[in-house]
Amino acid sequence: MSVATKARKLGLKQRYALMTRGLGWETTYQPMDTVFPYDTYEGIKIHDWDAWEDPFRLTMDAYWKYQSEKERKLYAVIDSFAQNNGHLGITDARYVNAIKLFLTGVSPLEYQAHRGFAHAGRHFRGVGPRIACQMQSIDELRHAQTQVHAMSHYNKYFDGFHDKTHMHDRVWYLSVPKSFFDDAMTAGPFEFLTAISFSFEYVLTNLLFVPFMSGAAYNGDMATVTFGFSAQSDEARHMTLGLEVIKFMLEQDEGNTPIVQRWMDKWFWRGYRLLALVAMMMDYMLPKRIMSWQEAWEMYFEEAGGALFEDLSRYGIRPPKYHEVAAKEKDRISHEAWGIFYNYTHAAAFHTWLPNEDEMAWLSAKYPKTFDKIYRPRYEQWAKMKAEGKRFYNNTLPQLCTTCQIPMGFTEPDDPTTICFRSSEYRGERYHFCSDGCKDIFDYEPEKYIQSWLPVHQIYQGNCGGAELGQVLDWYHINQGADNLDYDGSPDQQLWDKWMSDRKKAAS
Amino acid sequence: MSHQLTIEPIGETIEVEDGQTILDACLRNGIYVPYQCGHGLCSTCKVDVLEGEVDHGDASMFALMDFEREEGKTLACCATLESDATIEADIEEDEDALYLPVGDFEGEVSEIVDLTGDIKGIYLDLPGDGIAFQAGQYINLEIPGLEHPRAFSLANPPSEPNRIELHVRRVEGGAGTTYLHEKLKVGDKLRFAGPFGRFFVRKSFEKPMIFIAGGSGLSSPKSMVLDLLDEGCALPITLFHGVRTRDDLYFEDLFRELERKHENFTYVPALSEGDDSDGWTGARGFINEVAERHFDGRFAGHQAYLCGPPPMIEASIRSLMKGRLFEKDIYTEKFVTQADGEVALARSPLFKRI
Repeated sequence: MSVATKARKLGLKQRYALMTRGLGWETTYQPMDTVFPYDTYEGIKIHDWDAWEDPFRLTMDAYWKYQSEKERKLYAVIDSFAQNNGHLGITDARYVNAIKLFLTGVSPLEYQAHRGFAHAGRHFRGVGPRIACQMQSIDELRHAQTQVHAMSHYNKYFDGFHDKTHMHDRVWYLSVPKSFFDDAMTAGPFEFLTAISFSFEYVLTNLLFVPFMSGAAYNGDMATVTFGFSAQSDEARHMTLGLEVIKFMLEQDEGNTPIVQRWMDKWFWRGYRLLALVAMMMDYMLPKRIMSWQEAWEMYFEEAGGALFEDLSRYGIRPPKYHEVAAKEKDRISHEAWGIFYNYTHAAAFHTWLPNEDEMAWLSAKYPKTFDKIYRPRYEQWAKMKAEGKRFYNNTLPQLCTTCQIPMGFTEPDDPTTICFRSSEYRGERYHFCSDGCKDIFDYEPEKYIQSWLPVHQIYQGNCGGAELGQVLDWYHINQGADNLDYDGSPDQQLWDKWMSDRKKAAS
Repeated sequence: MSHQLTIEPIGETIEVEDGQTILDACLRNGIYVPYQCGHGLCSTCKVDVLEGEVDHGDASMFALMDFEREEGKTLACCATLESDATIEADIEEDEDALYLPVGDFEGEVSEIVDLTGDIKGIYLDLPGDGIAFQAGQYINLEIPGLEHPRAFSLANPPSEPNRIELHVRRVEGGAGTTYLHEKLKVGDKLRFAGPFGRFFVRKSFEKPMIFIAGGSGLSSPKSMVLDLLDEGCALPITLFHGVRTRDDLYFEDLFRELERKHENFTYVPALSEGDDSDGWTGARGFINEVAERHFDGRFAGHQAYLCGPPPMIEASIRSLMKGRLFEKDIYTEKFVTQADGEVALARSPLFKRI
């Protein structure tokens, strides 16, 4: 098997270097520190910006060519989905509520990511990270647009899709994703990349994207599946950027290690708390389920993340603080989160429901230690109350965690029957938290979090349209009686049931 | 049946089994092709097919679009071969690689010596020009009665192409090494293919070098150090050789002699077991700890070459990284077996080579 070697060509890396060199320069009219004022104050020391290994090696002309081809494909699918009344092919109209949550909770984050990467890119003096951020910024804008376009089809028939941007800025539970991203965007450029590129896009992305996209596939939503594939073909670059920025910081200066560790701790916990929304989507909102939240957590965080943190331990990085708490909570957070939404469904822009017998059997099987003992009795009680015409609503406003902004409904790490309360005092005021993870984040930067826009506080201060629920919902642009309340009896359900019975009639 | 795959720009050729993906074959042969999702969605492992036919498998229509398929691109994680093929992948070119052709050889056993209680030195004489290789590379040795060849590093320097030297540690229950220890005799003929591997000195970097060898992992470093000193390399070279007991140490006299002759060469043998009763006055402890003490915990500015059992390599990588030496300056010798290939896939993509 003797093989002669051929004349050598330039490697991709060298070709890329030749095509991109000279894109950065030392400024002369103004000192570099004035032109790039934000890339030092976080304490990250960079001695050699050229040591950045460009993870993309994609030039702009190739980028446009690829992305425009992806768009053509995606829009062909979206068009055919619309022309063929694709919404009639989904498993059940309850599924659409998962899409409402995605459109109002996640798609605006894609847009924020577009802005965040543009900002971070502007503020790196090294040309490598600057270009990487610039391309990701354009990707994120594309993702936001394609998601809105793919889901706009549902807006023709179903409620709750009409004002995602407005809702994202105002509605109480959407302050959870919004404040997450605002926190990242108001940090320095290195923390932003650690938060979004590493912790979110690398460590936790499979727990956000895979459940939504597989959920869409399982439930017949081909338009959403297609934008998922289209976006995922960009995600590899984003994930690689996340790994590169971490390696870059850790290798440039050993003083960076404790800073990076603190950011990993913080953004693991911030991201994990945000994923409570995904957990309940997986376990409750998909008529046809993919896997349980617990299974997803074990596969994507404990196994895949375990391999990553084993590798990172070579740099002296340990697994994120409180990952063991997340492990203790994996058989309960979805149930706790769904319980919160069932309590407050009159104030939400999507519907909730009680799991039916089959669904409860699935939940019992997936959560043998907790479901029958703790959560089934609760649903049975709520079902009984509803049957008696006393559907349970929580009519007082909840206390929110100052950091993650989720109502205080999560339980003690070692006791799933006791609500977990933590608090800190700062300048004579007491602030409340759902967990040690959220409390630690506040305690490190209290000046940042005391400025949080907490929806409940804002309502009480009279900043949300009025003192009555109806006034607040008007201010949220929630169409009362259509967008909110139970799925049972909703216009969505009536329309869906009519379509299905028409179909049966047509078939018989 | 299998096909041959040539990977540009490095020019290496490997066997790809029926139904085996290009990525899997590359990783199992120690060739790192960048990859991420491993199932056709992300396009990180996109490669150019220069020659031959491939089946794209389950590659996503977005990760590998129609026009790219027409342009001859494929995703290594999904693609299987329909014929012999040549691909070009995003692999770092290495200006120190000589890309020496692999050949098939037959050598005659000229000498077998006991280097330690469980390591034999086996010398094979080759006719003609012998084998051209880079110091640090290995061969695949065919062992009578065994289906698959076994990999052994060449311990002789490239300046001695007609007399190859192998260090064979007896592996408990290992059919190959048991044969070589018990049955092989002077005058026997053995067939092998080589040279293989990318473990060689990156001379172009011109940095001080650290070699860390564990047990019979001395083979490659021995060849590399002899080669460098032969050439008159004046950069500082430090060889750490970690063994359990004094009886496990071999070629001590050779390296002590080299240390006397060459001012730039330092030899640090160390024992991890035993106590003062063995009369050893040299370093004690695990070899990575000995290296840390020797360099005062600072390795930045060096290049390190590690050869030995996986736990020693992992421990050494951790010591080096703690001492601020990172992946681009660390080279390791691993014989990637099928089982190792699966472990490699289970790891994160944080590191490419180490």
